[in-house]
Amino acid sequence: MPAKRTVIFGFLGTKLDEGHAADRWDRWRPTVALCQHEDLLVHRLELLHGSKPSDVSLSSLIERDIAHVSPETTVHRSVVDLENPWDFQQVYGVLHAFARAYPFAPEKEDYLVHITTGTHVAQICLFLLTESRHFPARLIQTSPPKRRADIGPGQFAIIDLDLSRYDQIASRYQEEHREGVSLLKSGIETRNAEFNRQIEEIEKVAIASKAPILLMGPTGAGKSQLARRIWELKKQRHQLDGPFVEVNSATLRGDTAASSLFGHKRGAFTGAVVDRPGLLRSADRGLLFLDEIGELGADEQAMLLRALEEKRFLPVGSDREVESDFQLIAGTNRDLGVSVADGRFREDLLARINLWTFRLPGLRDRIEDLRPNLDFELDKFSRATGKRVSFNKEARERYVDFATSASADWRGNFRDLNASITRLATLATGGRITVVLVDEEIERLRSSWRRRDAAIDGSLTELLGAARFAEVDRFDRVQLADVVQVCRESRSLSEAGRVLFAISRAKKSTANDADRLRKYLARFDLTWDAIHSS
Amino acid sequence: MIELDGSVGEGGGQILRTALGLSLVTGSPFRIANVRAGRERPGLMRQHLTAVEAATKVGDARVTGAGIGSMELTFEPKAVRPGRYSFAVGTAGSTTLVLQTVLPALLTASGSSTLELSGGTHNPFAPPFDFIDRVFLPIVRRMGPQVRAHLERPGFYPAGGGRFTVEVEPVRTLSPIEILERGDIVERRATAIVAGVPESVAERELRVVERKLGWDPSCLVKTVLPPAFGPGNVLMLEVHSSVVGELCTGFGERDVRAEGVAHHAIDEMRHYLGSQVPVGVHLADQLLIPVAMAGAGAFRTMPLSRHARTNVDVVNRFLQVDVAVSEEPNRSCVVKFGVE
Repeated sequence: MPAKRTVIFGFLGTKLDEGHAADRWDRWRPTVALCQHEDLLVHRLELLHGSKPSDVSLSSLIERDIAHVSPETTVHRSVVDLENPWDFQQVYGVLHAFARAYPFAPEKEDYLVHITTGTHVAQICLFLLTESRHFPARLIQTSPPKRRADIGPGQFAIIDLDLSRYDQIASRYQEEHREGVSLLKSGIETRNAEFNRQIEEIEKVAIASKAPILLMGPTGAGKSQLARRIWELKKQRHQLDGPFVEVNSATLRGDTAASSLFGHKRGAFTGAVVDRPGLLRSADRGLLFLDEIGELGADEQAMLLRALEEKRFLPVGSDREVESDFQLIAGTNRDLGVSVADGRFREDLLARINLWTFRLPGLRDRIEDLRPNLDFELDKFSRATGKRVSFNKEARERYVDFATSASADWRGNFRDLNASITRLATLATGGRITVVLVDEEIERLRSSWRRRDAAIDGSLTELLGAARFAEVDRFDRVQLADVVQVCRESRSLSEAGRVLFAISRAKKSTANDADRLRKYLARFDLTWDAIHSS
Repeated sequence: MIELDGSVGEGGGQILRTALGLSLVTGSPFRIANVRAGRERPGLMRQHLTAVEAATKVGDARVTGAGIGSMELTFEPKAVRPGRYSFAVGTAGSTTLVLQTVLPALLTASGSSTLELSGGTHNPFAPPFDFIDRVFLPIVRRMGPQVRAHLERPGFYPAGGGRFTVEVEPVRTLSPIEILERGDIVERRATAIVAGVPESVAERELRVVERKLGWDPSCLVKTVLPPAFGPGNVLMLEVHSSVVGELCTGFGERDVRAEGVAHHAIDEMRHYLGSQVPVGVHLADQLLIPVAMAGAGAFRTMPLSRHARTNVDVVNRFLQVDVAVSEEPNRSCVVKFGVE
């Protein structure tokens, strides 16, 4: 492979390169010196200079001098006219146009941009255009000989702005990345590969993008916690300086939903006695975590979309738009794609928020992370209460055995674990969690999960009547309860069918969801109307 | 393929230039590894590439590894092509070193050549044009080929811009030569050149020569060149016997007084004169290849420097000629070629 040719871009130094008399050789002239280094062979020098007669004559002398000291170098002079070489916008514009028009051939030529000559503004512009790869080049900086008596070319240093090429800088970035990831994981040494992969990705996205992030996952999977950590990370990296604002959309039902989010003018409606800024404005320059976003009403969805797209919106009862620049993280535990199909969620809003979608697994799906989370919860308790708490060895083994066994349901995921550890730690006299305490706690967890089963049983009894309920196998109860739940949330049998058979629908393996659902309900002597009238 | 290690001996660019010259002479390809290993800036530098390029043209050679910083180079010449060549050399290199690389092969080439060399003609760390013209080439002519050099314009470091031409009428084989005794010095000359530097500098240098060496004022020549040729200042001291000559130089430098420049050249000249050998250190370097090409001959010189010993080793790798170096009394040595 033939070696690439070296091409240098640089401004004529109207002061530094100056001199017409023979004694000019006694001075260090950066542009000439560039071509005098024994270990730098410049094949072409692209010399940029102004159109003033003095610039033209100096640049032509420089060209002649370079022909003497470096016959290997071709000097190509270009006039770049700068009315005011200290005007940033003008200099940038001229150099940008120059770079855009230049026939770069990086496969054949190696480019360097000389930043020792030219005004400071020119140097800054060259730096920026090199960093943005408009000049696909490295920078070269030159300096005069260290000893005054030395009439040699001095030194040069080549600076590659591709920071990944520097081991020390790269390892510093690695360290920063590790710190970021660790922060997102709240310092917990999680072992689940899928979870860790997602966090790595979130770290990159959080630092590189201001676009909305969608966190999916079951209740208690840690969406809210993660959103807060993302805010902390972005704040640490100076990407935002506003607050963390958190709201669960499920709590925003009714008339006041819009005013909670978008604010209102005093007197906008009965009870609006003072101006209210609303959560979106409170989150200006910060981060808004909108959990259960699927629960948002249609009007609020429309307003949110506009607020995201234009960073402006209209408070309730106001005729003047307000601005708020916030980063949105949305949380959901339902499949918003299905909600869109049902017409309950705006497709355009979903498109806007699911650029970056992450699915957080529940505790059961990353049970290997139970131990580190257990330690984390204990630490957290100790820090919050100032009381050092620990398991004794046997107690810890028994707890972990149960917690990681198939019979541990962890329906509420990390929220359940947090509650469980809080209970244990609170009851631990002398800071020791004993086997007795653990056994009691295991019983408590079991019964709380059973109570949730009991809740299912209760609602089915109500719907079917005690006699009919007694005929339903335990095997069918949970499924039926979920089907009934979906029917209640749906406006029609067809809508419920679409939700329940979403996957078969996608595979086009079922013809009529509504019919299938009707037949299923009929097995329990249930009808659509019966469910909705109860 | 002859394998050379650039890190042994003196290990500088000289091994490379000697190898290039001998490869052209013999047609033997070579590979050199570890070029300038262990230097602050290792590998090939521009001045070496200039020599490689010149040799490549003259020998129609195939080359790999000819790049700045390259630590390994292979050079395979096809055939020496006499003719007209122009070599432009950056001032960091020296035109005389490029000449030294390509000249030996042209001395026995199939036709005459004209070389035009431009760049620095009077640089520190390289023989100046005057040395080539008045000390080296007269001996080459005694070996058969008619070689004439003509300086059109001197070029000094760093501005360069000098130019000279060399006409070569080759012979089939070089005649052996023996230079064992110096004979009486019959001619002395001190030349102080200034260009773009005050005339008084040249005058002061010559005054020191007059005082220290006791040379007759008629031997002292002041040359004032147009400022555009400069800046440059060199003091050249030369002596000739009927057999051989020597030329020592001092270069003007910023912050070095004219007297200091003169002392440098004078010390070197005194060392030569005091040693009683006919062939000085610099001439010995230049003669090594032509005398080895002749296959026989000898010269007496000062004890060989590491630099010169490295050169002898490289000559031994290329040419089927025995080179014997014998230490003699009075701190001299005889380099003998073609001994049985």
